[in-house]
Amino acid sequence: MSHLSIFFRLIVRPMLRERARSLLMLSAVALGVAIVLAIDLAGDAAAGSFHSSLQALAGDDNFEVTADGGVPESIVGDLARLPWPIRVTPRIEDHATVAASGETIPLIGIDFIAQANDPDEVQLGAPNDTSIFDDINSPDAIWTTRSLSDRIGSTVTLVINDHKHAYTVRGFIPTSARFGGDVAVMDIDAAQRATGKAGRVDRILLKVPDQPGFAEWQQRLLAVLPAGVQLLPQGSETAANRRMLAAFRWNLRILSYIALLVGAFLIYNTVSVSVVRRRVEIGTVRALGACRRAVLLAFLAEAAIFGVAGTLLALPLGRLLADGAVRVLSTTVNALYVSSQPGTVGLSTGSVVMAFIVGIGVAVASALAPAREAALVPPTEAMARGRREYAIRVERGRDALLAFLLAIAAAFAARLPPVGGKPLFGYIAALLLVAASAFAIPALVTVLMPLLSAVLTKLLGVEALLAARSLGGSLRRTSVLVAMLSTAIAMMTAVGIMVGSFRQTVVIWMERQLPADLYLRPAGEPGGDRFPTIRPELADSIAMLPGIAAISRFRAYQIEYQGLPAILASVDLGPSQARDGTEFLSGRPSSVVLSQLDAGDSAIVSEPFANKHHVHTGDLLTLPMGVRAASFRVVGIFYDYGDEAGIVLLARSTMLRYLPDKAASSLAIYLAPGANLETARAEIRKAATGRDVLLLANGEIRRQGIRTFDQTFAITYALEAVAIIVAVLGIAGALISIVIDRRREFGLLRFLGAASSQIRRLILIEAGLIGILANIVGLALGYLLSLILIYVINKQSFGWTIRFHWPVSVLVAALSGVYLATVLAGLYPASIAQRLNPIEVIHEE
Amino acid sequence: MSSPDTSSFSFPAQSGSRQPTLSLESVIKDYTTETEPVRALDNVSLQIGTGRFVALVGRSGCGKSTLLHLAGAMDFPTGGRVVLDGVSTDRLTEPELTQLRREKVGFVFQSFQLLHTLSVAENVELPLLLAGHAHPRPGALEQLASVGLADLADRMPHQLSGGQMQRVAIARALVHGPRILLADEPTGNLDSVTGNSILELLRRISSEHNTTILMATHNAEFASLVDAVVRMRDGRIEEVAVR
Repeated sequence: MSHLSIFFRLIVRPMLRERARSLLMLSAVALGVAIVLAIDLAGDAAAGSFHSSLQALAGDDNFEVTADGGVPESIVGDLARLPWPIRVTPRIEDHATVAASGETIPLIGIDFIAQANDPDEVQLGAPNDTSIFDDINSPDAIWTTRSLSDRIGSTVTLVINDHKHAYTVRGFIPTSARFGGDVAVMDIDAAQRATGKAGRVDRILLKVPDQPGFAEWQQRLLAVLPAGVQLLPQGSETAANRRMLAAFRWNLRILSYIALLVGAFLIYNTVSVSVVRRRVEIGTVRALGACRRAVLLAFLAEAAIFGVAGTLLALPLGRLLADGAVRVLSTTVNALYVSSQPGTVGLSTGSVVMAFIVGIGVAVASALAPAREAALVPPTEAMARGRREYAIRVERGRDALLAFLLAIAAAFAARLPPVGGKPLFGYIAALLLVAASAFAIPALVTVLMPLLSAVLTKLLGVEALLAARSLGGSLRRTSVLVAMLSTAIAMMTAVGIMVGSFRQTVVIWMERQLPADLYLRPAGEPGGDRFPTIRPELADSIAMLPGIAAISRFRAYQIEYQGLPAILASVDLGPSQARDGTEFLSGRPSSVVLSQLDAGDSAIVSEPFANKHHVHTGDLLTLPMGVRAASFRVVGIFYDYGDEAGIVLLARSTMLRYLPDKAASSLAIYLAPGANLETARAEIRKAATGRDVLLLANGEIRRQGIRTFDQTFAITYALEAVAIIVAVLGIAGALISIVIDRRREFGLLRFLGAASSQIRRLILIEAGLIGILANIVGLALGYLLSLILIYVINKQSFGWTIRFHWPVSVLVAALSGVYLATVLAGLYPASIAQRLNPIEVIHEE
Repeated sequence: MSSPDTSSFSFPAQSGSRQPTLSLESVIKDYTTETEPVRALDNVSLQIGTGRFVALVGRSGCGKSTLLHLAGAMDFPTGGRVVLDGVSTDRLTEPELTQLRREKVGFVFQSFQLLHTLSVAENVELPLLLAGHAHPRPGALEQLASVGLADLADRMPHQLSGGQMQRVAIARALVHGPRILLADEPTGNLDSVTGNSILELLRRISSEHNTTILMATHNAEFASLVDAVVRMRDGRIEEVAVR
């Protein structure tokens, strides 16, 4: 018997006969693969290939020179005067907000003359076109992308730091220039003035000759540069961004695999049912000469068909979903990590191959066990008529023991440290727990089903009795269905608890951390690596206003520490209120630690910074400050949920000794006792006339923080929802096969006096029972997974301490929603059962 | 035995009631297969009185099962009338048909059709539960005792022999006190000794409970046990032999 004919007889024909079930399975697999593909494509695009937007128009340089707080301009001259043929390109790199659209774009200041004289650099004008120099001395001249302005001479109003100014477009940036998205370019002098960086540049790019080699050049350059500036290979920032975003993308990718894991249960169940139903056919083809391998291959091919067809559907679907996901993800990347323009979403050969490998791989792997079972069916099975039930040996005791051992292994794995910064053992612990739960389910169903059966029969009558007995009688199928749905529910519960706990932790933290009455910052969209400043005079004048007790100036710089982005910040420790809010891991009182911070070269660091860089209280941190390298003693590690990159916080007076720029990134304003908030707000607005700043009351800034938080986690909810949809589709498909397998039973019940509505009710109760069992298992498993998420995966990935919190209302709503969806999934199978002709089915053999 | 007019047959009740339990009046039943329409019953008329035990015989496909289904209010005739205990089924809605079955009909099948996830007693009480009875267990135990299986109430079907399973099925068919018991090849899956004991049980039920029984069968050893034998061929009644 040829393999093809066995395949057709055992697989294709039944698949075509039960089209609705096949389509449901296909949709579920397609959705699982599509979501993995979407997250992969969107992750790549949203991270903008990890390039910061500020790298727009950067050339093919070898080195970059940076310093915390900016590189003194004099170093540009020093480098240019070196007796070597080095190309020196100083740059101002900042951000501006387009007033008309609110879009935040990179603002790049470059030396037009140097740029024009070097044919290797990106040129803003046509060759030999010198008109660009006509406007060099104009502080209002900008060059933009064509999407920002349609003609030369038009004006574009930009908000830079706390001031708004109308700039005249003097030219367009050629599309050949290396950048993504909109960008505004100014001559470096004008950019220094506009951004308040007189005497400093943000970066100096260096292009050195090929000889005498990279290492030699590095040594030569380091020898002439002051201690406080850093010399890094070009692309270091990209590499640092890549490292910073790695945990974020890794976790997101893992979340996207949940739907696929649920899909794996589905394939397992589908092929298991196929094998059981077709035992007689398998026996027949075996009796007719088919070998075991042929049978094994036929059932693996069934799974592969679902894998291939599902992936084919998943490709366009994943591409479509990626468009939506990239918007959400790039908002998060910009808000929390790095200002970058999302790249274009595109299906590459690599992503298509990945989708097929994932789709077919998961499908075939899930089908291995049932396909092997099929191969072991003896030819004599052809004679064993009537073995149609899904009653397979389920070794509950052995499975329960296995579950116990897996749970112990999970507990052990959860205690292991990260591998290469990734919580690899955390994920393994989560997977082991899911497996433990799957193995524990048969024993659990055996215990729970009689209890549920007794209660439900009293409440719902004979249909509940029949439903409960049927589910208990098909223990393996019921167990797989419960495992499938409970895995999806558990993941939803775990992520729900984790996000809910995180949210509650952030809310409590903000209450302590934001003690001021009002906060003032430059207008424009806040970002993870953007710290526009307020002119010092404005802060001084606000401090003098009546009704203002004190102000605290906060200043932040984006820095790179040990190859990772971080934030160097300073704060006024003057106001007594500012000294009480911060909570330290050591539990020491805030006022005590902060008084140490005030004295000498001390620093406190945030918990994520300490975890990422293995910093402890008492350690010395060496930071490149301006042209000096300075060391700071760590006097405390504080809880912080504002930035994942991590913060090194100095007293403002300390910071000013190294970086004397007095401008603040934001102001915390404390009102005098009895002062009226609205009056003070009006006074501050008056003082800030002409400045583009945002004044927010305490409650408003907290709400804004929570809004950003919720936006960040929106994608995780979407991923959970997809996993649930896959599971519910699976339940619907499985219920259809239950109806098909038990059609004679339903026919019999009609003969015994059951109304068709009772048959429908029976199926809906079965769906409901699966839902109840899955909710019980899912909630328990979800709680355990949430502990792994909060205390292992989150801690090792991001370094945050999250306090456990049950988000009761969210969980109740979500679990009720899933339960309802499960019952609704029974509607179509129930209508099939209701329409069965009892006379036809009772006489079927 | 006699062989009266073959167009219409009547087996009046042995005593008492003048109204037949089952009356088929010129019943026609057509089915449409994928290729062509098929007439399963062709102008069949039959009246069976209370307490009668009638056997339907004939080759496979002659219309025996179709007649049983129409008699059991499982289907509507294409033409003619089926009257069950004075109620014409063609005027009933689907829920009313269900109600009629619940009250007046019991079915026994060749392959027993017990639910393997329910115990013996639970199988027997199933018709009562489906009809909404709150306390069906005493009735079920009583029926089990009447078929000689009182001790097996808590067993599961797979722990029974074929004959015991069919007795359970008969107890189930009788638990709600039906007016008519319809048995489709009840001995088809049993050896001859067990089959005969089942037939004797049915005979006893017919006599003791005054229950009308219409049985489709291939078993040739029933002649001495039934009141009449109706032979069918191609959807028509070919011959009737009354004992």
